Parts: sequence; C-alpha cells; structure tokens
Amino acid sequence: MSLNPLKEPEGVRLALMGNEAIARGVVEAGVYVATGYPGTPSSEVLMTIQEFGADLDIYAEWAVNERVAFEIALGSAIGGARALATMKAPGVNVASDPILSAAYSGIDGGLMILVADDPGPHTTQTEQDSRWFARLSKLPMITPSNPQEAKDFTVIAYDMSEELGLPVIMRTTTRVNHTVGDVVLGGLRELRRFKGFARDPPRFVRAGMKWNLERHRWLNRQLARVEGIAGKYGLNSSEGEGSLCIVCEGVTYNYVIESLERLGARKGVKVVKVGLLHPIPREFIASELSGCAKVLVVEELDPYLEESVKKVLYDEGINVKIYGKDEGVLPLEGELNTGLVIRAVSTLLGLKASPIIRREDEDRVPPRPPPLCPSCPHRNSYLAILFGISRAGFRRAEVPIFGDIGCYALSVNPPLNAIWTEHSMGASISMAVGLKLSGYDKPVVATIGDSTFFHSGIQPLIEAVHKRVDILVVILDNSVVAMTGHQSTPGWNKTETGRLTKPVRIEDVVRGAGVDNVVVIDPYDVDAMIKEVARLIKTPGVNVIIARHPCALLEARIKGVSRRFTVIGDKCTSCMACVRVTGCPALYVSDDGKVRIMAEDCLGCGLCAKYCPYEAIVEVGGGLG
Amino acid sequence: MANIQGVTNILIASVGGQGGLTLSRVLAIAAILDGYSVRTGESLGMAQRFGSVVSYVRVGRTVYAPTFSEGEADYVIGMELIETLRNIRYLREGGTLIVNDEIKPPISSSLGLAKAVSKDEAIKALSNIPGNVVIVPAKRLAGAAGNVRASNMVLLGVLNSLSKLLTDTSIERAIKSLLPGRKGETSLKAYLIAKEWALKGT
Repeated sequence: MSLNPLKEPEGVRLALMGNEAIARGVVEAGVYVATGYPGTPSSEVLMTIQEFGADLDIYAEWAVNERVAFEIALGSAIGGARALATMKAPGVNVASDPILSAAYSGIDGGLMILVADDPGPHTTQTEQDSRWFARLSKLPMITPSNPQEAKDFTVIAYDMSEELGLPVIMRTTTRVNHTVGDVVLGGLRELRRFKGFARDPPRFVRAGMKWNLERHRWLNRQLARVEGIAGKYGLNSSEGEGSLCIVCEGVTYNYVIESLERLGARKGVKVVKVGLLHPIPREFIASELSGCAKVLVVEELDPYLEESVKKVLYDEGINVKIYGKDEGVLPLEGELNTGLVIRAVSTLLGLKASPIIRREDEDRVPPRPPPLCPSCPHRNSYLAILFGISRAGFRRAEVPIFGDIGCYALSVNPPLNAIWTEHSMGASISMAVGLKLSGYDKPVVATIGDSTFFHSGIQPLIEAVHKRVDILVVILDNSVVAMTGHQSTPGWNKTETGRLTKPVRIEDVVRGAGVDNVVVIDPYDVDAMIKEVARLIKTPGVNVIIARHPCALLEARIKGVSRRFTVIGDKCTSCMACVRVTGCPALYVSDDGKVRIMAEDCLGCGLCAKYCPYEAIVEVGGGLG
Repeated sequence: MANIQGVTNILIASVGGQGGLTLSRVLAIAAILDGYSVRTGESLGMAQRFGSVVSYVRVGRTVYAPTFSEGEADYVIGMELIETLRNIRYLREGGTLIVNDEIKPPISSSLGLAKAVSKDEAIKALSNIPGNVVIVPAKRLAGAAGNVRASNMVLLGVLNSLSKLLTDTSIERAIKSLLPGRKGETSLKAYLIAKEWALKGT
C-alpha cells in the first residue's frame, strides 16, 4: 500500500514534505526537464522525482553545478519545454550570470528556479536573503507558506512563466521545504517537451547593445504585467479587519495566525499575506493597507518586504506608521517563531507579552555538533595530512589547510582541528593560491571533495598550474555528494534514474589541467598517505593527491559491515589515544573510565585499533587489530 | 491533553541516525489518515548524522506553524538521554516525557571538552522534572521485536498507549507505507510490544 506522491490521483490527501509537494507540483505542471545541484534544504525536490518518477519519462538529473543546471533549464525552456532548476541560496549566486541574461531573452516553455533560503541558519554558510535577487535579476518571485502552497504555487509558477515569457523564481525557506504537512493533490498534466526553437538574435544574442536596450525595455514592460497576472492566481490574500494590519509572507504567515489566535486578537487585526514578492504587488498593498492605523511587517532576515511596503505607501501618499526590522520590533538575524511574533504583536497591541520561559538545563549538557561519521575516510585523510605535515618537518601552525564545502568541513572540530578556512564552493584552491602569491613562503594544502571539485574546483586548479604556484591539493574523493544525502557526481557511470552515462575520471581532469604530480591513494592506508603528503608537500609545483574511498555510510549500506571491533577492558588503560586521534562518535567513555565501542554505530574501519598503544581494541572473531 | 487550540505538540529529541525522522514521519502520515491536520519541523541532511537532531510534530484540527517554543510540548520523546536533557525545556508543566534509557555520550565529553553526564545522573535529572516521566527500555523491547534499531517505534507505541492520539489502524498503515517489507513488519511488532509494555507498566 506504499503511496507514490507523484502518481496518486487528484483529490488524494497525503502527508508530504514541502520539497515532495514541490516535486508533485513539478509533475502536475508537466515539467519535462528537472535539474539542479544538491543543497540543503532544496535537495529533496529532485530526489523525490528520481525516486518516485523513474518511469514518468521526466529528465530528473543533477547537474555539475547550479550555473550549468540553470543553463540546461534555460536551454530547454527556450525550445518550449517546461524546465526546473533547484538550488540552495548560495547556488543562486553561482547561477547569477546566466539568470540575469535570461531575463532579457525570456523563455517560451515555463521555467521555474527554486531557491531555498535557510534562516537560522541550519545548514548554510550565510543567512542570505535571496529575495533581493529578484530585484537584481528583475525576475518575478513568488513564495509559498506551507507544503500545500508549495505544490500549488509551483503549478502557478509555470503558468505565470509562460504567460510572461520569463523565468519565475520560487523562493522558499527551510521551514517550508522541510515541513511535512497535509497536501491535497491536483491533476497531472501532459509532459511539455521541446516544441520548436527559431533563430532570433535580438532575443538570444546579448552581443548587440541596441538589442540589449530594447530587451531591457521589454523586460520592464513584462514586469508591469506581473501583478495583474498574479492576481488571477490568488497569490496574495488578506483576512480579517482591524486598525492593525500585519503584512507577512512565506512561513511567517503561520506564526502570525497562531500568535493572533493565542492572543485572542484575530478579530481586531487584518492579516495581509504576500505571495508575490517581486515585483511587489503595488495595487494590492496600497488598497489593503489604506485603512490601517498601524502596519507590522513580519518577515525573516532582511527588511525586504518592509522596504517595499514603505515605498508603496509613500508613493501612494498613505501616511501610516510601519513597524518591522527597521524599528527593532523583530530581529534581523535567525528564523522567527510564534513566540517572537507574539511579542511583536503584543507590543503593537499594547498587550503585556508573557516572558519567554528558559530553563538552564541546556548549559550543563555536553554539546554534540555533527562529527565525521564512524569509518569516514575523510578522517583518515586529514590525519594523514596532519601527520604528513609533521613528517615533512613543518609545524602544524605553519601549514594552512584550506577547506571547502562538504562533510569534511567537520574536520574543523576537535580532535582533528584540521581546516583553517571554509568559504564557498571551490575556494580552497584559489584562496591557497592567493596566500602563496601574497608572499607566504611555507607550504599550503587545499582540501576539496570530489563533487565540489567538479562543481567549482577545476578552474582554480587551472589557475594554480598556469601561475606556477607551489601547492598540495588533496581531493577527498568519496565518490558521492555525501553531505546532502548521497547524490550522484559526474564520476558515476549511471544517474539516479538509471540512465547510463560516461563517468568523468578526476585523475584525467587533473592530468589534463597539467598538474605536476598526481597520486591516487586509499586513505584507509593512512601510513602510505602520510608518506605521500610528506613527500609532495616538499615537492615544488602543483601536486594532487586523490584520496579515494567511498563514503563509509554508503559503503556500509551497499556492502554491509564486515569487521567488528571491541575493547578488551583489562587492557584499556584509559589513555584516550583512540578518542584523541579519531574523535570517532562510535567510541565513548563508560562509567568505569574505559573506552567502549557502540556496536550498532561502528562501521569497522579499525582506525581506533591502529592507534591504541596497548592493543586493547581488537577485531571480534579476528586476531589483533 | 492538547494545550493550544486543540493542537498536540510533540518534540522528538535524538542523535542523528537513530530514527527520529522516521518516527516523526510515521506520526504525520497516521495523523493525516486519522483526518487531522499536521505540521512537522525537521533538520535534514547527512551531515546531521551523529549530531543533535530535533523534530517538531504538531497534530490537531488546524495547524499552522511547523515549530513551537520552549515549555509548549505536550510530549517529549527522548531517543537518547543526553539529547533529552538538552531539550527537556520544551516540555510544558504537566506534560509527559517518554524517554529511552539509552545513553550515547558525545565525543565532546569523551575528549574532556565538556563535563560528562552519566546515565544515572541523566535519569535522576529527568526524574525531577515537573511532569510525568516514563523511562522505557526501548532497545530491549526493540530487540524482542527483532531489531534493536526499532527503538523509535517502541517509543511511538508508548506515546500512543498513553496519549491515544491516533488509531492503531492508521499507525499500522503509516508504518507499512513508509517502511515496506520486513523493516515495516519489525517496526509494527516493536510498536505493538511497546503498547503492551506500557499497558502493564502504567
């Protein structure tokens, strides 16, 4: 009785996560080309289509990065197909160049860009507010407030996109993407494939400056139509009447409604929910707010909506006091919740807000930041780098290890304390090159994962080769996009939907770029890798170590766990060498002070046994570790 | 049993990989089958493995927000003692804590970076909260069902035995739709064993 969220008929009510609901919307809209780059909290959209829609004949495959993903979607949409590109907030920065040009050329088949922001932040390097990106790119942007709207607005995005001839951005936040809610399904439409593509240089060639000026005028004319078109679809709505008007968008609508219910104030307050974020629905806002005595804008992160509302009301000559971020009623950082909104609403209604109850339990509980998993090959790689630096005669403090985006960034934590930087996709290599070029005379090491290397690491490597910078690059190749949930990389020989592909070999790419030395090594052989690090760190030129071992979680899932280890209590001296070297979460100190292994978490790499000076950790059923 | 506008708030505190997300999803699916509205708030992504994970589950006639604040959970389900201690402040006064008696000391305490909390200390601290506390030998009960990893379904069984929030039929359907095959059978068995345990014990 397993339910398929992509195939159940219209009218069925399912518990769907926001991203699954978007995937359903994508299928309902007849999208034929769906692509993107994995990034929390956006990844499950494509994953859902891959898992449940394998036989729907939809192209649902990951691209090498967000820019390529968007360009693939664009290339499909200019031929009349419906297309999707998904990404997390930093991904839209990567894709920004083609997105801005696409606003001038426009599209023929519907194109939706899904950008998932992460107030909190839960899993993102910045609290980027991608709503500004709509203003920058001059593209329409809409936002849903719950999983049901996430599905419904997706279908609307495609209809709007085709009516306007423009890509439409759907901006979501974690609490919509990763919230499970009740969703009533809509009907499925036919897939919209390639229809036709006619040569039209003024539209598609940005080399003509007159054309560009004319297309800019066209774009502005299209933007002027958006509010009218959005009105048809009910993207904006209002409820209740009162002298206090609350303007909200996305997930904050839920906090507003709950706050009013809990304050018993739903009757005296008007709630104005904005689903069209760009261009701002001027007429709607002016007419809804014209009778208000006070306006409270409830939104997460930047005062995007607040500024927009202020401008509209100023232009319309409506003089009403507006409260929000600028006035300090709500915070500029972090995500909102019902408690924070209750306080803001109470302030405006002149009610006494109940104080936030806080108990101190949290402070005396040992923290548990996510560690590298048991048997993670990255642990071995960083140990080899750290030991290799010492072996080569350098102090750890004089050889910076540049990090990149991926699970391996967790090596920043004790006990490894490995990486010095983690900035943006591919930046490890370029920043290391920059430090060297600035006159740094000790070695530098750049560490980058396989998928991140494919995404944005190749050009920096070319830069290093071309500029003759001495650098050791360690490509941590676990053969999967691990951090975001085990998606495919260009190194795979088939995609998630089973289509056979040609795997791109990292060593070929690296050699093709002209690096001086390339070594491929299995980091599970730590001693061999230490030796190579020590050798190559002192060898002039651009040297690359490809540390290749599959993600331990994936390997265990595919092959099972073949080795088991246990601690011989009598031999354990509580010296903690195993814990201090590995920081493995399957190890713990029991009440008697001795180390134990959590059997159900151990994946059997044996690294702890290797570094136990007393041979107290042994393989179960085997000899000494 | 519900405290705000007929909405029942459940907080699930776990270590990434223990099955907290699956538990939250089973609750959500079953709630929909029983005709309720539901919202959950989750932390997802592989990099959450072995880290602190919290899921919010909200079930009621109409639910809006995916999260709730401290002191507002009707039930806290603790899949591990340290994580339960970390999040017990979410439990409202008079609420019910259902906690697995298992401890997974984090690496921060093994490394001596933070003061270790022993199992006894954790249980003692949790026993003193202003609410009801049910300590569950979840691993043992899950083992009796055939898989120690089904501790999450054991806690679900205790929750539903105490709260009568959802029908058994819906929970069974939810488990089977989310976990097809043998995994589902073991999970269902763990759920039923736990219900029986809760009936005897409380």
